[in-house]
Amino acid sequence: MTPAISATGLTREYYDQVALDDVNLAIGARTITGLLGRNGAGKTTLLRILAGQEFPSSGSVQVFGSAPAENQDVLRRLVLVREDQAYPDFQGYPNFKVSHALRAASFCYPRWDAGLASSLLGDFGLRAGKAVKSLSRGQRSSLGITIGLAARAEVTLFDEPYAGLDAVARQIFYDRLLAEYADFPRTVLLSTHLIDEAAGLFENVVVIDRGRVVLDTTADGLRGTVTTVSGPVLAVNSFTEGRPVWERRGLGSQASVVMVGQVSGEDRERARSLGLDLTPLSLQQLVVRASAGPAGAGSLTGRTNA
Amino acid sequence: MNTMIKVARYHLVMPGMFLGLPWATLAGVFAANVARGGDHFRGGLAVFFGMFFITGVQRVGGWLPFGLALGATRRSFYAGTALLGVSMSLVSGLVIAGLQAIERATGGWGLSITFFRVPYLLNGPWYATWLTSFVGLSALFVYGMWYGIVNRRWGMLGLLAFIAVQALVALAVAFAYTRSSGGPLLLRPADGHPASLSALELTGVIAALTVVFLVGGQAAIRRVTV
Repeated sequence: MTPAISATGLTREYYDQVALDDVNLAIGARTITGLLGRNGAGKTTLLRILAGQEFPSSGSVQVFGSAPAENQDVLRRLVLVREDQAYPDFQGYPNFKVSHALRAASFCYPRWDAGLASSLLGDFGLRAGKAVKSLSRGQRSSLGITIGLAARAEVTLFDEPYAGLDAVARQIFYDRLLAEYADFPRTVLLSTHLIDEAAGLFENVVVIDRGRVVLDTTADGLRGTVTTVSGPVLAVNSFTEGRPVWERRGLGSQASVVMVGQVSGEDRERARSLGLDLTPLSLQQLVVRASAGPAGAGSLTGRTNA
Repeated sequence: MNTMIKVARYHLVMPGMFLGLPWATLAGVFAANVARGGDHFRGGLAVFFGMFFITGVQRVGGWLPFGLALGATRRSFYAGTALLGVSMSLVSGLVIAGLQAIERATGGWGLSITFFRVPYLLNGPWYATWLTSFVGLSALFVYGMWYGIVNRRWGMLGLLAFIAVQALVALAVAFAYTRSSGGPLLLRPADGHPASLSALELTGVIAALTVVFLVGGQAAIRRVTV
C-alpha cells in the first residue's frame, strides 16, 4: 500500500547547517504519528517541506504518491498548522481578525466544517471578532488548531500546535483531535515537546535528532521495550545478565539498570522473587535517550533508522 | 482557475482594505485639492496610482504566508493576486474616465479644478483615459508585487540590488536609444522629433513593461519559502 507520506534521502542544507540529513520515512494513511525531537532537530523543516512551503536540497518527499511542492492536487488535501504562522498584518488599518482567517480557510478546504470551527472557538474561548495581531500566544495556537481540525484535510500536520496553551486547552485539543479522527479518519503528523502528555494519541513515533531519523517505530512496539530494573546490586546483575543494557548506575548496595527488551510474565515473577522493581521507560525518556545518540535507539526495533 | 478565484476571494476577505483604501486616499487628496483651489494640475491623481503599487507590495509581503498555509501554490497565489489587481485596475480605469468626463462637463467641478485630466497622459477621449489608466494601474500593481516577492525572497539587500539593477538597465536603455536615434527619447509629441511618443504609444510601452513585470514576478516567486 502506498504510504500517505514518504521521504527518500531527504536532505535540506542552509549555508553552514544541515537541517535534514538523508531522511527516509514512510507514514501510513489514517494514522496519528508523533514527530518528536529536540529544538532545532529538523521537525519544522520536514513539515514545511511536506507542505510545499520549503524545498529540499536533495532527495524527495511524496504525499499521496506525488511531490507536494506546487502541486495543487496535493496541497488542497493537506493542512499545516505552524506555531509561528504569520497572518496578514497592517499598521493603522482595520485588522485581520479571527473571523477573516476562518472565512479564508472555509473556501480553501473542500471539507471545511464551519460548525466545528465555531464550536472549537467556543471551547477555546476565542472571539471571532478579535484581531489576530492582538491574540496571545495561546490564543494564536487556538486559532491554528481550529483551522487545522475544521479543515478536515486528509493530511493534517501540526507543528507544536499548542504553544502557550494551558493544560485545560491542551486537553480540549487532545479530546477533539481523537473525536475528529474517529469520525473522519485522516493522516495526522503531530510535532510536540509535551511527549508524555500526547503519548496516548500516537500510533507511530518518529524521532529526529540533528536532522536524522533516529527512531521510527510503532508506539505499541515501543511500549515496554525498555525497562528500568532497580534493587540490590547482586539481584539486578543476575536479572539483567545476558540482556542488552543502556545504562548502569549504582549507589552503595543498590543498583539501577536500564534494560532493553520485552519483559515477560516469567520475568516479572522472577523480579518479584528477587525483590526488584521493574519500571517501564516512558515515551519521553525513550525519546531523550534516542536523541542522546544512536547507542540507545539502535537496538530498540528492527524499524529503527539510525 | 478555480484556485485563482479562491486566492482572489482570500484577498477580498477584507474588501475595504483592497477596494476601499485607494479610493479613500484619492478622496482625501481630491478634497485637499478642492480646498486649495486653483486650476493648474498638481498631480494628485498620482497618489491613487501609487496606492496600486503599495497594494501590490502588501499583497505578497503580508498575504503570501497565510495564503500558502491555506494550500495555495505559489503559482496560483501569484496568478490569483495578479488577476484581482488587473481586474481592479480595469474597473478603476473606467471610474477615472467617468470622473474625468464629469470634471470636463462641470468645468472642473464648478471650481475650475484640474484633477482627473492629466496633461499629455490622461487628456483624451474617455476610452483612451480608460485604457491608459487601466494599463498604468495594472503595471504598478504587478510591479509592486514583484518588489514584494523580491523582498520576501532576498530581504532588504536583495531589494536594494534589485533597484540598482533596474537603474542600470534604465540607464543603459536610455544611453543606447540616444546613441542610435541621435537624440533623447521624448515622451511628449514634438514636431519633427524622430523619437517622440503619443500617450497611446506610451500606453503600449507600459503594457509591454507590464508583461515583463509579470514574467519577472512569476520567475521570482517560484522559489519563495515561508
